[in-house]
Amino acid sequence: MSGKNISDFGQPTILLQRLCTKVTGLSNEAAVPYLHHALRIVSSNIISSTESDEFQVAEKIKRKLVRRGREKDAAIFSELHRKLQSQGLLKNRWAILHLLMTLSEDSTSDSSKVSGRSAVFGFGLPAYTTSTPFNPAYRPPQQTPGTTVNLSQLSAGNTTGSSGISSIHSDVHSGDPTPVPYSFMPSTVFTPANVDRGDKGLGIRLASVRADQTKGQVKTPVTSISVHRGDNTSFEIPESELLKDIVFVFQGIEGNWIKFDASKNGYQIDPLAGIPNAVRQHIRKLAECGWLYNKIQNYVEAKSVDKTFGLVGQSFCAALQQELTEYYRLIAVLEAQLLQDEDQGIGLGHSGLTLRKLVVWMFDPLIRLKTLAALVDICKGKKGGALASSIYSYMQHGDPYIKSLIKHILTMIAQPIYARLLRWMYDGELEDTHDEFFVAADPTVKNDRLWHDKYSIRKFMIPTFILTDQAKKILLTGKSINFLRQVCQDRTPTKGREIAMATDNHQGHWMFTQDTSNEFQQSIDQVYKETSQHLLDVLHTKYKFMDHLKAMRRYLLLGQGDFIRHLMDLLGTDLAKPASSVYLHNLTGILETAIRATNAQFDDSDILKRLDVRLLEISPGDTGWDVFSLDYHVDGPIRTVFTPESMIIYLRVFNFLWRAKRMEYILASVWKNQMCNARLLKAIPELSSILHQCHLLGCEMFHFVQQVQYYISFEVLECSWHELLTKVKDAKDLDFIIAAHQVFQDTIISRCLLDEKSQGILTQLRTIFDLIIDFQCKQDLFFDAATVELEARQKFEKLQKQRTKEGDWGLSEQEENEEMRRRRDFLKTIIPSNRAQMVILAQSYQNMVQQFLKMLTIHQDVSLRFLSFRLDFNEHYKAKDLKQRMSLTGQKGQQI
Amino acid sequence: MPREIITLQLGQCGNQIGMEFWKQLCAEHGISPEGILEEYATEGTDRKDVFFYQADDEHYIPRAVLLDLEPRVINTIMNSPYANLYNPENIYLSKHGGGAGNNWASGYTQAERLYEEVFDIIDREADGSDSLEGFVICHSIAGGTGSGMGSYILERLNDRFPKKLIQTYSVFPNLDEISDVVVQPYNSLLTLKRLTQNTDCVVVLDNTALHRIAAERLHMENPSFMQINQLVSTVMSTSTTTLRYPGYMNNDLIGLIASLIPTPRLHYLMTGYTPLTTDSQVASVRKTTVLDVMRRLLQPKNMMVSTPVHRQANHCYISILNIIQGEVDPTQVHKSLQRIRERKLAQFIPWGPASIQVALSRKSPYIQTAHRVSGLMLANHTSISSLFERTLRQYDKLRKREAFMDQFKKESIFKDNLDEFDSSREVLQQLVDEYQAATGPDYLSWGTQQATSTSGERI
Repeated sequence: MSGKNISDFGQPTILLQRLCTKVTGLSNEAAVPYLHHALRIVSSNIISSTESDEFQVAEKIKRKLVRRGREKDAAIFSELHRKLQSQGLLKNRWAILHLLMTLSEDSTSDSSKVSGRSAVFGFGLPAYTTSTPFNPAYRPPQQTPGTTVNLSQLSAGNTTGSSGISSIHSDVHSGDPTPVPYSFMPSTVFTPANVDRGDKGLGIRLASVRADQTKGQVKTPVTSISVHRGDNTSFEIPESELLKDIVFVFQGIEGNWIKFDASKNGYQIDPLAGIPNAVRQHIRKLAECGWLYNKIQNYVEAKSVDKTFGLVGQSFCAALQQELTEYYRLIAVLEAQLLQDEDQGIGLGHSGLTLRKLVVWMFDPLIRLKTLAALVDICKGKKGGALASSIYSYMQHGDPYIKSLIKHILTMIAQPIYARLLRWMYDGELEDTHDEFFVAADPTVKNDRLWHDKYSIRKFMIPTFILTDQAKKILLTGKSINFLRQVCQDRTPTKGREIAMATDNHQGHWMFTQDTSNEFQQSIDQVYKETSQHLLDVLHTKYKFMDHLKAMRRYLLLGQGDFIRHLMDLLGTDLAKPASSVYLHNLTGILETAIRATNAQFDDSDILKRLDVRLLEISPGDTGWDVFSLDYHVDGPIRTVFTPESMIIYLRVFNFLWRAKRMEYILASVWKNQMCNARLLKAIPELSSILHQCHLLGCEMFHFVQQVQYYISFEVLECSWHELLTKVKDAKDLDFIIAAHQVFQDTIISRCLLDEKSQGILTQLRTIFDLIIDFQCKQDLFFDAATVELEARQKFEKLQKQRTKEGDWGLSEQEENEEMRRRRDFLKTIIPSNRAQMVILAQSYQNMVQQFLKMLTIHQDVSLRFLSFRLDFNEHYKAKDLKQRMSLTGQKGQQI
Repeated sequence: MPREIITLQLGQCGNQIGMEFWKQLCAEHGISPEGILEEYATEGTDRKDVFFYQADDEHYIPRAVLLDLEPRVINTIMNSPYANLYNPENIYLSKHGGGAGNNWASGYTQAERLYEEVFDIIDREADGSDSLEGFVICHSIAGGTGSGMGSYILERLNDRFPKKLIQTYSVFPNLDEISDVVVQPYNSLLTLKRLTQNTDCVVVLDNTALHRIAAERLHMENPSFMQINQLVSTVMSTSTTTLRYPGYMNNDLIGLIASLIPTPRLHYLMTGYTPLTTDSQVASVRKTTVLDVMRRLLQPKNMMVSTPVHRQANHCYISILNIIQGEVDPTQVHKSLQRIRERKLAQFIPWGPASIQVALSRKSPYIQTAHRVSGLMLANHTSISSLFERTLRQYDKLRKREAFMDQFKKESIFKDNLDEFDSSREVLQQLVDEYQAATGPDYLSWGTQQATSTSGERI
């Protein structure tokens, strides 16, 4: 009579039957209920083997007897027990004792305890239980209440939660040599690399479970059976029903007792159902899975059909779907288990599915579902890179389990991003119909603005695992490719493209594992470097960027001095005319002549061809000088650097430099005139003072203009040019060059007083220039007058000599008087008036310069101080200013 | 080919320094002694046509006119590898070949006689250029041909080409040595009058300073003429680099000298050059920067004019132009100028704005130099007047004794009287006075007093 002899299935039942008939003395038929009872007891024994100690059982019985006041019986029992021990006839003494004890208890205790035990048997033999209830008075028709709890307690207490799974496994997949990942396992299918990390816990558990299995159930300990009573219900729902329900709920389907309550947005257990509170709690916990599942499923369903969701979104859906498939598999396993339990009944005993087991089993899947649901939540309304960013934000999760899950999903999502990225970086192709890549293209942009405007970064679409810097590089690389292909007509593939395209497609995870590896950075850098370098090479060699840049400097920034000088000489007469009567075709002819005559002729014919004359907008009163400009035609790829806007800047600078240059030449001719006339006019000594005045004023002006020119030459052109060349030489990509060129132009513009801040100063400078032109005119007029006087005197003297030679009386009195009057007139009117004009001119000029210097010192741009430094190197103006102020304070006294 | 410059080489000294100058230019432009462009120089962006023109067979020919009254130096040139460089029609040798005997008057008179022939050459040369900028004359002021003939040609050039610049490289005699030319003061005085009145710019090459520099800086015991002339040719070629390598500024002679010369008579320029060490060892321990160069250029020992230092005389710079060659970081220029101003290394005129002008120039790629940076200074300094004062003193000493006057009286210009001496002295004295005046702030009104006083006399 042993409950342990399960393997011999038929035997114990027959033995029990015999036992029952024997004990009760009833017929076979009449003893059936007792047989049932006995069966239950036996089956309950299997799991109540914790007290396999004979002594303990015996003591327990004794104590029980004592408690009931049957001390005598207790003494008899101990006597009998002693005898039994000494005889050694019985081997399973403790079992018998235990049986007897339970039998005695059974007769004394209340019915609920009995029913608890019967439920155990009922589990295995549903046919019996349903047809013949042991205790019809207390028993619900279908199932015994409360036992589910018991059972799950048992299973939980005896084995680990997954032992249930292991039994399922061994039953369902017993033939399989390797365990197919059956559970809701992370990443096993897609990322073999993750197996040991993500799967470790489970793998180990699995192994231990299998070990358990092989050892058999021998050591399954016996727990005390505590029986619960449904507290608040009139009847209790059998656990299997609830299990079925819950499995339904897992799939988002409402069960009999568990309904979805839309108002509370969750699954609610029928409050009237006979379910104990503890069970309810378990169910609630489990029902969360269903809720989460619904959420995920809804999202996936909604988004999979969403055409605008994009590839990244689709791969996110796919990843979710994959997870759900795993989840389905789990549910399938659970269902199979349920079914099996139903089919096999009691015989399997401990391997049956219970709520408790379920809670444990569902622990990991629940976390998974929760994580997925969280992802779904934060990804709502997002797509593309933004979606990837959101998911990436979960990568920092401390739980390695969740981390690996996220990583798996991220890997799936990263794949389309990475593939696109590769296409972009190697081929410059942007297949982004759903605007989810972080590089955006504007198809309306023409080729000449391709570099500047066509491509941009969508900031919010940059996955956070890609640094801004990297994103920029990526943008730049693809842009370079496009630029090469479309603008430069260069189709050379990037080095290493084939290899990269062939292998790199699965390196998506490089992107978000940058904290551990720098392969992504390296590969980006590599491609970026190759492409940018290639682009620069093409620009330098095929499109002669440097030559054009130098040409700009030589022609538009007047670097080719001899050419500019000659051009100005030749243009002089034309440009003196009013702007409206200056004709372009005349000027182009002159330009050609100037080129032929100077060193410009040795320049590349391609560059010379681009050189042209341009007339700026004419405003009333302009002369040719005001509107003339050289122009340089740019086309093709270099237009990206020399944009129309920057060409305008060049023209403005040219205009300024041209003006300053003109001043230099005007003063050179003024000086030349002074030198010549000084020699000639020696003959009229009265002129020496006014000549000296002119010389000094001219010299002051020359100094001013010359210093402005030196300032332009060094502080403006040379320095920034130097900087530009260095930068261009070190440039890593085209953007670098564009930026350097931009800086170059900005510097020139601001230092040439052409920016808005300097408008006042520029006007002042123009006024000074005007005074210089004024001076030239006045001096020329004066020299003309002086020359006329000189010639008249010479004529007179010649006449005088001639007459004397001829023997005449020198000159008539009238002639002499006329000569004297003319001379007096010259001395009294022409000289003083010219002198006064010169004094006024000098005065206003000096005031202007002083004002100009003052304006320079208060200008925001410090570099302009260089100019004032140069202009007043020997502190002449400063001293003068000081003197003036001193005299002013002297005069006005305390007024100042 | 615009802005051409014709070089006139007069007399023994003029032809010697001229020869060195052309040697230097040929080397810098990659032109062989035969005038053929070297193969390595065909790609150059230098501007050769200022000083050369191309013959029909593409040979480069200097725009140079060689004049002398004795055959010695010109024969040397004609026997040198550079014989075929020059246009033979431009070499004029006086037929009687006796020279001027170190007599200014003789040179002057002979030039008068040869006027037609000489100016045929000059006219032809001038006609051969599109827009002639001016003439550069190389000569010495102490000899006979360079000074006398030079004086005459200067006067005539002024008449013939009133609108053309005339710049001279004038070699002043060495006063440390006792010269064999005893009439040096006479010659100098008479020439200086023409230099003052008939030229736009005189670059003073003081043999005294050149010898001192050769001895002190180059460590030569007895520097030969050739070595001295190399120094001169360095100065000449450097002062023209901005014309030959065009850049943003100083692309023509007028732009170069106009800013240096405020009033017509104050047009005597001193030069300074650094580094002058020929030692490559010195170069290896020295790092030449722009500041170094500019500072050293302001030191008197590097000046090629020996002027006694008068502390009390307030001599000052009227203007300075530094031509810097080599690998220059343009940002350094401003810093150097600042430093110079802070340390007050240069004293400037009190009557007007003045500053150090700096021109960066390219260096010939065909000549290797040991120095990264080199610089030439062209300066207008009032202390140059001490040279004239010295000349005046020496002249006065001789004149008092009426020494060596006979040979001068032989010539037509002094046949009647010695007024020419007196007027020359007056001109030179006025020049000294003007330089003196330019050291003070009253220079602004200098002309006024002068005018009233002179006009008062005359009327």
